[in-house]
Amino acid sequence: MSRRLRVDWPSCQARGLCHELLPELVELDEWGYPIVGGEVTEELVADARAAVRACPRLALRLV
Amino acid sequence: MTQQAPAWAASPRHLASRPVSTRPASPVPVPHEVCIHPGPALLEGVADGPSLAAHRKRYGDLPTTRLPHLLQLVRGAGLRGRGGAAFPFATKLETASKRRRPVVVVNLSEGEPASAKDSALALSRPHLVLDGATAAAQALGSREVHLVVTGERPLVRQSMERALEERAGDVAVRLHTAAPRFVAGQARAVIELLSGRPNLPVTAWSPEAIEGLRGRPTLLSNAETWAHVGLLVLRGEGAYRRHGTETEPGTALLSLTTPGEEPHVLEVPYGTRLREVLPEAAHGLPALVGGFHGSWATWPTLANARISVPHLAALGTPLGAGVLLVPDAETCPVELTSRIVAFLAGQSAGRCGPCHNGLPALAAAVHDVATGRGGAERAGQLAELVRGRGACAHPDGTVRLVRSLLGTLPHEVAEHVSGGCAHLRAAVAS
Repeated sequence: MSRRLRVDWPSCQARGLCHELLPELVELDEWGYPIVGGEVTEELVADARAAVRACPRLALRLV
Repeated sequence: MTQQAPAWAASPRHLASRPVSTRPASPVPVPHEVCIHPGPALLEGVADGPSLAAHRKRYGDLPTTRLPHLLQLVRGAGLRGRGGAAFPFATKLETASKRRRPVVVVNLSEGEPASAKDSALALSRPHLVLDGATAAAQALGSREVHLVVTGERPLVRQSMERALEERAGDVAVRLHTAAPRFVAGQARAVIELLSGRPNLPVTAWSPEAIEGLRGRPTLLSNAETWAHVGLLVLRGEGAYRRHGTETEPGTALLSLTTPGEEPHVLEVPYGTRLREVLPEAAHGLPALVGGFHGSWATWPTLANARISVPHLAALGTPLGAGVLLVPDAETCPVELTSRIVAFLAGQSAGRCGPCHNGLPALAAAVHDVATGRGGAERAGQLAELVRGRGACAHPDGTVRLVRSLLGTLPHEVAEHVSGGCAHLRAAVAS
């Protein structure tokens, strides 16, 4: 089953921790908001979970 | 029937940074008057007036409808949602029926200023809309039916209030007033309003038909969709199929809007040629199909196109909620797009970062294009950046408009970049 990261946009306040923890999948736009890449591969699931847990706005989900 | 204080009266914190008065006005104001043309089905004999007596005389009493029959009717007719997304109504109805105590919502908020078709139904056929919602509520065993109108269109509200009074004793319908904002009519924003929270979009983790108002399955549809449901229940599938094509039965409402003039609402069978619908004066000119969130189409495209959901989608100009914005020969499409994008940027709820930051930047880039200062490349980049990054489709719709301008009318855009547009030169001279 393929998994992706989804952002709860109204909650996100561009704190940028997701990019720090998961630069492979999360870039930041010119205002600091995440640009989430494609599928979360097996190798990246642990890091993706860490990013979800670390978000201070609880705005990231693995779905 | 009860009335709630409008949720936007509470003035939530996040809106404080962008006061209402500084938001750019719509280049097409919300209409006060609508010119309603008689049509073959929904708008048949509109001269009868909107009363319940006239409605019952024409259509008869609303029969009791059970779920399997209703499902069969809407599936047989291939009914799609008329709010813009064209989602199959039968799928939504079936999904909502699978969990306990579904809620029925009639969305008559019509947040797009260029649209007038829901207003036309409210003013001329309110009971067809209410019959559709009532039939679904009965079939689903719903105890709650909600009707959402907008404070921006007071005559619509009055007409629906009058219609609800006439039906006293029928299924209880609660009337709500949406905020005067483009995104207030978005499905999740409407559910927020009904929940007593600010009338703004939030992230949907699952479809409303699975989990909507207070976690209940919620069957939320546009007023025109409900009118079609009403017509199917009252007249049956055979009568419904007398119009339209084999694969796309029935009719669709169109709002034909020229900036500066009152909108015309027409009902046309699917399969009708667009050139038969567009006024003679618009022949030869580009038009915006689908309204503010729509796409520009050149005259050669329009001249050969037909009113059909899959056909128009394949042409890259989805019908959306049925708005055809037809600028006259004096109006420059680039300039008009710039004003629409500025308006849409101001209509962002400001909650989602990419939309809050990206749409004003996009509006500035398109303004640069329209005033001959370049900006087309930046507009294209921003459009790519903003798309798909919000709780609702507002950024996506705005991006669709900008990309269609750049992609469909490159000649007009190039004229602006070189300062050669006749409209632009006139503006500079004056």
